[in-house]
Amino acid sequence: MSARKQAVAGGGPVRQDHAGGRARPTRPILAAAALLLAVGPVAACTGSAAATAAGKSSSPVSGGTFTYAIDSAQLTLDPGVSVSAVTGFIDRNIFDSLVVQTGPGSFGPWLANRWTVSPDGKTYTFYLRSGVKFQDGTPFTAAAVKATLDHIANPASKSAYAISLLGPYVGATVVNALTVQIHLSSAFSPFLQALSTPFLGIQSPVELAKPAADYTPVGTGPFTFVSWPQHQDVNLVRNPGYTSPPSNAAHRGIAYLSALHFDEVSEDATRYGALTSGQVQGIEDVPPIDVKTLEQTPGFYTQSDFLPGLNYMLFFNTTSGPLADVLVRQALSASVDVPALVQGLYFGQFKVAEGPLSPDTADWSDSASAALTSYDPAKAVKLLEEAGWTTIDAAGYRVKDGQQLNLVWPYPAALNRQQRDVLAQGIQAYAKKVGINIERPTVDLGTLVSDFLAGKFDIADAAFARPSPDGLRFAFDSTQTYAKGGANVVGLDSAQVDGWLNAATATSSPAVAATAYANVQKYVLANAYVLPLYTPSLISGYTSAVHGISYDAQAYPQFYDAWLSS
Amino acid sequence: MTVASGPAALAPVGLREGRGRVARYASRPGLVLAGAFLALVCVAAAWPGLLASQAPNAINPAYALQNPGAAHLLGTDQLGRDSFARLVYGARYSLSLGLASTALAGLAGAGWGLIAALGGKVADEVSMRLADIFMSFPSILLALLVVAVLGPGPRNVTVAIAVSLAPGFARVVRVQGLVVKNSEYVTAATALGLRRRTVIARHIAPNVLSPLAVLVTMNVGASIIAGASLSFLGLGVQPPASEWGAMLAQSRDYLQNDWALAVFPGLAITLTVISIGVLGRELQARFEGRTAS
Amino acid sequence: MIARHPLASWLLRRLLLGIVVLWGAATLAFIALHLLPGDPARLIAGAESETSPAVIAHIRAEYGFSRPVLVQYGIFLAGLARGRLGTSYQLGQPVSAAIGGQLWSTASLALGAAVIGLVLAFALAVTTAGRPRLRAVTSTFELVCISTPSFWVGIMLLTAFSFRLHLFPVIGNSGISSLVLPWITLALPIAGVLGLVMREGMERALDQPFALTVRARGATEHRLRLRHAVRHSLLPVLTLSGWSLSQLLGGVVVVETVFARQGIGELVVNAVSGRDFPVVTGVVLLTTLVLVVINIVVDLLYRVVDPRLRAVRP
Repeated sequence: MSARKQAVAGGGPVRQDHAGGRARPTRPILAAAALLLAVGPVAACTGSAAATAAGKSSSPVSGGTFTYAIDSAQLTLDPGVSVSAVTGFIDRNIFDSLVVQTGPGSFGPWLANRWTVSPDGKTYTFYLRSGVKFQDGTPFTAAAVKATLDHIANPASKSAYAISLLGPYVGATVVNALTVQIHLSSAFSPFLQALSTPFLGIQSPVELAKPAADYTPVGTGPFTFVSWPQHQDVNLVRNPGYTSPPSNAAHRGIAYLSALHFDEVSEDATRYGALTSGQVQGIEDVPPIDVKTLEQTPGFYTQSDFLPGLNYMLFFNTTSGPLADVLVRQALSASVDVPALVQGLYFGQFKVAEGPLSPDTADWSDSASAALTSYDPAKAVKLLEEAGWTTIDAAGYRVKDGQQLNLVWPYPAALNRQQRDVLAQGIQAYAKKVGINIERPTVDLGTLVSDFLAGKFDIADAAFARPSPDGLRFAFDSTQTYAKGGANVVGLDSAQVDGWLNAATATSSPAVAATAYANVQKYVLANAYVLPLYTPSLISGYTSAVHGISYDAQAYPQFYDAWLSS
Repeated sequence: MTVASGPAALAPVGLREGRGRVARYASRPGLVLAGAFLALVCVAAAWPGLLASQAPNAINPAYALQNPGAAHLLGTDQLGRDSFARLVYGARYSLSLGLASTALAGLAGAGWGLIAALGGKVADEVSMRLADIFMSFPSILLALLVVAVLGPGPRNVTVAIAVSLAPGFARVVRVQGLVVKNSEYVTAATALGLRRRTVIARHIAPNVLSPLAVLVTMNVGASIIAGASLSFLGLGVQPPASEWGAMLAQSRDYLQNDWALAVFPGLAITLTVISIGVLGRELQARFEGRTAS
Repeated sequence: MIARHPLASWLLRRLLLGIVVLWGAATLAFIALHLLPGDPARLIAGAESETSPAVIAHIRAEYGFSRPVLVQYGIFLAGLARGRLGTSYQLGQPVSAAIGGQLWSTASLALGAAVIGLVLAFALAVTTAGRPRLRAVTSTFELVCISTPSFWVGIMLLTAFSFRLHLFPVIGNSGISSLVLPWITLALPIAGVLGLVMREGMERALDQPFALTVRARGATEHRLRLRHAVRHSLLPVLTLSGWSLSQLLGGVVVVETVFARQGIGELVVNAVSGRDFPVVTGVVLLTTLVLVVINIVVDLLYRVVDPRLRAVRP
């Protein structure tokens, strides 16, 4: 169980630390070391006064529909396929996982009562909880675990994220109805953490056997899926047969809320207005400009936390185009005043990022940020001239061998959030000052995917929330190509980096892992494969009637223990 | 809307000279204002540097969302860009989109309508059924269909709006063409032995195209709104270009805090379209030989 | 007495014409579908990172992309005749279901706006007909109404009455109060034009000899206008009903986006951004159907409202 669970009196949100990711340390000394390691990057939890001031202890009330406004649409609700963190947190209510992450390196029982790991780290045996049923009535057995993992590993499922979480998964064996053995081809320390995510939530084998077009999400979780109208809003209803809360939940039994609605409201001002006018009880992504106002408004409170994992950053395509030249990449890095942009646009709510990992992730390396090419327009010009881009054309952009310094950065409008399009305009303006032309053609998602697969882009942008430095492997390991469901769009193919990443996942020594991950971060920054922009903060706003929201290791809100006062 | 026919259409609109003219305009302040505003917009479109001293895309994040003041006439937007400069520079996108699409529609409509009027019964029937089909859905839906096929962007939006306007123009041209075709002077010209092509070029086309010119002018306003609507929906001119519709779309996130961002682009569109409307009606009235009240 | 034959033959002719228009619209949509660059199978595969050639081939077979164009056209028309509009690429559900789910939201918006527009126009016309000094007012009002982009009106109303004064809800899918601002926004352009047109119709009627007769019999101005002149002003409204409906359906697209309402407008905008052609063509065809039907109904109404037209052939 977590040693650092902070409970706030009166039904404010319960915070858990989430700077974790090592596999279970087998010895107490290592456990202590892991704890110490995680002491540094503890998340700064901020909340408004209203949350802590609710001193009267009210007891949970059953019933009520909680409407939570989210800011983007979901592409699929299959957790084994989706890459969207928001889908993950919606699915968290539908699916249970085998284990729950209770602390930086510790995990507790959930659908699995206990588990053992073979000495070589390649075989995990899980002893499952009995008496659990899926929402469609199917009993939960080892076969369901096998079906879920195989579904993710199956190329036909087109998993865009979960497959990378599985790592060196080979297969699973059903030993008996309540015992399952999972086989890996090599030791993989992030495995338990991966299993705790909603993306590896256990799905009903009956549902998985149906054709993909008929898929609906069916799990063992506290809420059952009802509908997904127009693929925008998601409607869930309480699961009356729920018997499997995780070991660290605040209560046992069925959920308090009778229904959960996730409404998609992508316009910031409208979403915020929906909260302040009482039309919804909670919202995701309170616009940074409104956070202070909301905190001071009676009847509302905010909860914010910086997300662990990969920061929101630009990824540069180094396989072709002008960005194949490291000098151009560093020049682009040096031309953008990231702190000014992030401070100006987000009013201090988002942290300026100085490396690929969020500081709230384990093994975040402070020293690596020294390798980042920071804002220095004069240096940018020097680097560009050194790279041969010496002539400037009539429009103000640099030219070399008759080619204008043009970078293509596709813009999928459907995925836009957190004013990223405006941030991009800022980056374009800075780049223009040193003579770099960044074009942002609006594309639909199908074209975006084709472009990524064909390498027809120069810049991409993304963030990946995950309480584990394993995100670095997702983005920079040479086998994690986009075509294989990875995030290595930069085209990094370095035996050295692969070596560090493999060493980090295979080892059970936190010190070895820390060094390896630090090396990766330094390397990536020194060679300007990415331009880190900001560490997103998940700022949720709630009306005071909402109590009991807890946060998982990924800093996303959980609604199992939530309840509404009248 | 009536369409003049025959000799009346040929009568040139004479220039009125002397003090009478000034006196006439002085009693019609609306017309004067409209003309002046439109002239201002044209200057903004052609020589924006004359009106706005700052660059429209010069960002200054430290000064985001400032109120109107000495440094920035209309304040700044979320990236610290000068709103007034963006407004002025945006004129060229809105105006050029409106003019280009209407002109394109005019050309297409003229050809289409002339084919219908002069091409014989079958051509007439087919062209007009085609026009019926195109006109049977709302212009914005037609434009959306075109954008869905061609993709977003200002060029495609121009084509989309042109496609939605052309059938209406074609109809008018056809009617006028039929009238002119059967008029006395055309019969005379044909009787005189002039070749068909010459008859069309010298007699039919000019008389058909003048009402079209009026119609085109009156529709520039509608095109500007259509272009702004499509940009507002994210399908037309892309940011950072400060097209007025796109500016309105970006202002939506700040309605709680800085709603002035939403006022001026919309006002600009409205005033421009009203001015064009006023001038267009004046043109139409002149053309029809009476003064609009 | 209306002779059966002329009416029946007129109706038949109009219906056939309507079917031709519908077929034309469907063909247009089909051509547009096949003009699009890129591979529709890839569009359907959507935002999945890995799509093996086998999966693409499977999609092609399922949707029939590999068959000759004319065969696909035939299948497309046959499906349409049975009311099947295909399957959405993005939503994974039949287009008819996707549209059907949004129909009521849009219909309630459009109908309410139409009613408000008519009432407003009527009030404008009745109060200003025959009063020359007010003519300029009506004319200006109409000009302003059609010159103001509806998305701006919507944003301004939203800011003033929802965000600032909290009089109306901000996101709008529940109840009348969330419909008020969208109704007003959508109704204004229509009110302007219809008001002008109704006014002119009423003025023409007031100039007719029968008006003099009615006045001579001692009826009040009020009664003259409301009882007798109204019918004459309705005729031009009928003429413009096709245009009005077109305006409404077009305006719905923008208004739903501004007020974050569910509906067909929002559906079609998402479909266009996502290049979800079946949905776009489905909406286009549905709109065409509605307009064709309304046009026929309106022409029928013409004959009812104005007996003078009954003898006229279409």
